[in-house]
Amino acid sequence: MLLKPKTSILQKIYLPDIIIGLWITIKNFFFGKKVTIQYPEERRNYSSRLRGMHYIKTINGVENCTACMLCPTVCPAECIHIVAGERPDKEKYPISFEVDVLRCCFCGMCEEACPKDAIKLSNIYEMSMLKRSVYEKDFLLEQRGHK
Amino acid sequence: MPKCIINGKEAEFKPGENIIEVAKRVGIYIPYYCYHPALSIVAQCRMCAVEIEKMPKLQTACSTPATEGMIIKTTTERVKKNQRAIMEFLLLNHPLDCPICDKSGECDLQDFSFQYGDSFMRSSEERRTYVDLDIGGVIKKNMNRCIHCTRCLRFAEGVAEIHEMVAVKRGNNIEISTIDDRPLETDYAGNYADICPTGSLSIKDFRFKKRVWYLKKTPTVCEGCSRGCNMEVHEERGTVYRCVPRVNLEINKYWLCDEGRFNFKYVNSENRLTEPSIKSAQKFDFCDWSTAIEKSREFFQGKKTTVLVGSDLTQEEIKLILDFIPKQISVLSFFHYGTPGVLFSKDDGPADRILKMKSKTSNLYGIEKLGLTGFEKYSPQTGAFLVFRGGRASVPDLGGIPTVGIGVFQKTIIENFKIILPGTTFVEKDGTIFNFEGVEQKFKRAILPPGQSKNLSEIFMLWAHLGAARRAA
Ligand code: SF4
Ligand code: SF4
Ligand code: FES
Repeated sequence: MLLKPKTSILQKIYLPDIIIGLWITIKNFFFGKKVTIQYPEERRNYSSRLRGMHYIKTINGVENCTACMLCPTVCPAECIHIVAGERPDKEKYPISFEVDVLRCCFCGMCEEACPKDAIKLSNIYEMSMLKRSVYEKDFLLEQRGHK
Repeated sequence: MPKCIINGKEAEFKPGENIIEVAKRVGIYIPYYCYHPALSIVAQCRMCAVEIEKMPKLQTACSTPATEGMIIKTTTERVKKNQRAIMEFLLLNHPLDCPICDKSGECDLQDFSFQYGDSFMRSSEERRTYVDLDIGGVIKKNMNRCIHCTRCLRFAEGVAEIHEMVAVKRGNNIEISTIDDRPLETDYAGNYADICPTGSLSIKDFRFKKRVWYLKKTPTVCEGCSRGCNMEVHEERGTVYRCVPRVNLEINKYWLCDEGRFNFKYVNSENRLTEPSIKSAQKFDFCDWSTAIEKSREFFQGKKTTVLVGSDLTQEEIKLILDFIPKQISVLSFFHYGTPGVLFSKDDGPADRILKMKSKTSNLYGIEKLGLTGFEKYSPQTGAFLVFRGGRASVPDLGGIPTVGIGVFQKTIIENFKIILPGTTFVEKDGTIFNFEGVEQKFKRAILPPGQSKNLSEIFMLWAHLGAARRAA
């Protein structure tokens, strides 16, 4: 059974409610505190724990990553693709390392899973691109937004 | 049957059985490293120690046979303390390089450390390290990871019957190596990687290809020879990465030869033809299925055909061929082929003292059951050959007579073939085969056929369909 809410005659004719609503709008518009900012010139201060653009940490120019595949394993969006290989100075390293950011949900689980402190999410949040963005290894190795 | 009591559970056993096996049967798992059911017992890792009533000290479950009325406890504080101590001891010198180790995910050391060990480490001393020399094409050695269980030594001596692995030096400096660091010689080297409970011995071919937890495992039967060893295909997204043995005490026990283990390589090889192709001038052109089948029908018209059936096909496929082909083309005779020099099952026999057989195809005995004889020479009336191949049989010399091939062919072996209809390999189909002892074994499909390849039944269905459509037109 549908219960009809009890309404007074004033509510039934709507007009007083509309006037009250309009007054709230006018009050906030003219006298309220502004919530928007002039974006590119003005910026907000985000927490240093913000999860933004990925990068792979390097030490003396050598990537920390050993291609253990824990980050692709844990990634719920399945957006990390790694091919592992061997080279003289490093037993196992990623030949290619791709992050398909369009699929990424920025959960930060890869960062958490990494035993080598290699993949990290920086503070950079400006990531719009004109084409589908897949971050390749070379791109990830630039220490952008190092933290 | 005599009985003993393990953790309060009553367990029956055959006299002489050790506690690990008896406990396993009633669902109690005792961790162990050096013990392996098929190898001799040395009791040197001490991981399996359990408490037995009326015995003052812990006893190793691998080397203690169960006796009537024995009361065994595997989860008491004393046992747990020992397991923790053993884990700490084994990891003292272990590099803990699981992120780069291929064994990671199926490693006893890793699993037991997680389950029975401590999560922290008290030692801060430098670890023992070794320089690893190359030991041949199959196995990659990394002695830093070794826990000196000596399973590999005992495998070489007891199963592979070759004295090639040795432990040099003593005590803390012990090192497993081959004699004079020579490459491994046995044809069963892949098993070293399977029995090694750590990542010290790993398969070179599989190195860094895939983490093991991604692999999907399908039980199958090896098609390498007429022994029919049981194995598992490990695959991800249609690519086969490796094959490992599956325990079958009647046939292959715990082992697999290297030939069978790496036989899967042709499945995803570049060299395999996976499109219907017709030869024009000197090269093959790809075409669609109906054109290829129509062309084959025209090709066989008015020609007396000798049909060669590979003994690497399954019973189902062979029966299908025998039923279907005589209705479509004029057949002179059916023969089977597979291994040069092994025409009949009486030519077959063990090729070594372990597993390998002389017949290099799996279903020689089954195909004989269906009444085919081995291909020796063709009759002079033969105008064409129709060759069925599962991927392993070696095609005999056909004397330049034009041939149509149905099945799996490498680009290198199709010189005088006119038309190829691509078929499926043993991992892409279900089927039944008979091994040399007449044991019937079934296997299941692991991956989908690549490219345009089709199952034999699908090919015949299409063939019949096109024929009916043409007659109606
Ligand atoms: S943030 Fe989440 S979705 Fe994105 S790469 Fe990391 S784990 Fe994957
Ligand atoms: S988890 Fe870390 S070390 Fe492992 S593959 Fe990912 S980035 Fe590399
Ligand atoms: S398994 Fe019993 S001592 Fe190693």
